[in-house]
Amino acid sequence: MRGRTDSLIAAAFALGATALFLAMPLAGLRAAGDHEAGADVFDAYCSDCHSVSPKGTNRKGPSLYRVLGRRAGTVPGFDYSQGMAKSGLVWNPQNLNVYLANPRGMFADGKMKKGLPRPEDRANVIAYLANPD
Amino acid sequence: MSVEMRAGLSASVLLAVTCAGSPAWAVPSYSRQTGEPCTSCHYGGYGPALTPHGREFKLGGYADGKAIIPLSVTASASFTHTAKDQSEDASEHDGRNDNFALNEVVGWIAGRILPHLGSFVAIEYSEPERHAELDHFNVTYALPLRIGGKDAILGITANNAPGSTDPFQSFSEMAFPHDSAELVPERIGVPLLTDGLGGQVGGLNGYLWLDDSVYAEIGGYRSLDHRLLDTIGVEDEAGKIAGVATYGRLAYQKDFGKQVASVGLVGMRVALHPERDPGPTNKYTDWGLDATYQYLGNRKNIVAANITYLHENQQRDFDVEQGVTARRDHRLSSVRANVSYYRDNTYGVTGALFDSWGTRDTDLFEPEEDGGSRTGKPNTSGFILQADWTPFGKESSPLSPWLNLRLGLQYTGYFKFNGAQRDYDGFGRDASDNNTIYAFANVAL
Repeated sequence: MRGRTDSLIAAAFALGATALFLAMPLAGLRAAGDHEAGADVFDAYCSDCHSVSPKGTNRKGPSLYRVLGRRAGTVPGFDYSQGMAKSGLVWNPQNLNVYLANPRGMFADGKMKKGLPRPEDRANVIAYLANPD
Repeated sequence: MSVEMRAGLSASVLLAVTCAGSPAWAVPSYSRQTGEPCTSCHYGGYGPALTPHGREFKLGGYADGKAIIPLSVTASASFTHTAKDQSEDASEHDGRNDNFALNEVVGWIAGRILPHLGSFVAIEYSEPERHAELDHFNVTYALPLRIGGKDAILGITANNAPGSTDPFQSFSEMAFPHDSAELVPERIGVPLLTDGLGGQVGGLNGYLWLDDSVYAEIGGYRSLDHRLLDTIGVEDEAGKIAGVATYGRLAYQKDFGKQVASVGLVGMRVALHPERDPGPTNKYTDWGLDATYQYLGNRKNIVAANITYLHENQQRDFDVEQGVTARRDHRLSSVRANVSYYRDNTYGVTGALFDSWGTRDTDLFEPEEDGGSRTGKPNTSGFILQADWTPFGKESSPLSPWLNLRLGLQYTGYFKFNGAQRDYDGFGRDASDNNTIYAFANVAL
């Protein structure tokens, strides 16, 4: 019985630690990201090719409405690169941050050529994409 | 048409064509195809002035996005007032001044045909001329590839106007002013590249767009058969190109994200048989420099500036043989500069200066009421002020992407016209008599 309790405590601790580990950078990104500045970054660098309209409009790039939490390469009607379509990736602030730093570094055959080299721009635009409404 | 008249036309480089208003170059079928609002490709929200994204779309062969029925319709109406009435009616269907006109109704076949293949084709009906013609033709195949680890586009374009393929739009009729008064006295002395051949030729151009920064293009043009010109409604004004006319363009663009700048070179060599008969030709060699700048910021409040210098050497062997002029060699230069500001991609103001000067030739440029030259000089200079309003063209606009609209008011003032400030035509007309108020409304569906 004691062994089972210890296991449950260990599992709970591990789960909690994992959640904390995941949450800390998420919280950090959200805290660092300025929603309003992110809207400006989006308009300046992303809006030619992407829309955040609730209509889900695809442009040269796919709709980014509610992109966080979405499986990569799954927006209906958009012709993705094979690498992204088969990645199985689910977008979260961390992997979106990595992707935006160097899109072709994550998907060599990707259609998006340019990223956002400045970390604060990435943090801000991710904060905006989390809630573009 | 007499030899002298035709030579005069070639001398003044087909003024009617040059001075005619451009079609309203906004094509909502592209917007429907790409899902992008007009503002993605056009600063100010209405064509033809291209953003870097718009340049990329053009260089991509108009083929981004999904296949749709690639049809659009545009129309332009205007009111033209000159400071002094013209000596004769501005056209067969208009008066000497204060003319309302439905400038044109244009049907467009504009969009993706196949992957990497698209079109930009316009069939225009001109109300002042009561005439329909194939106005613009551009079909482009663009192959994306990698060169030295860099993204590149290799393209081939069939088109009907030198300069129309230029993504920087510095030297063709797509340069500012995109809308200009048609029912006004005609200028002499406009370089051939500025549209002297448009519509009358067929060309095949190849281009390379490397790493979103280097643009290199070379093309060759031949005259269309006069029977074909009749069929497509285009008047044979330039004559026949001897052999092949060559066109080249080299440009460098630096995209800073919120700003973009470019510099470039252009060149064209043409030998024309004005009467389409064998024998001596009139030769034109054009070369030019341009620089463009756009501050795009967050794509709402935009500043754009352009400056071009174009020089033309002319060798008029045909005109000399025909006795039209005794002077074989002519020079013609022009400078244009303009700066625009758009607020919310809706409210725009533009200021522009233009100056052109060239060789005096009193045989070629003779006094004639309104459109002639007392001095024999092709010198014209002045300024343009324009304010325009483009309420639609954004993603949130009503009926987007099915409707766009631009209303504009333009004032053109002349310091010199056809060689002089005072009595330029030899019949008492001053340059300032041609100062023009031009109000226009463009709609695109």
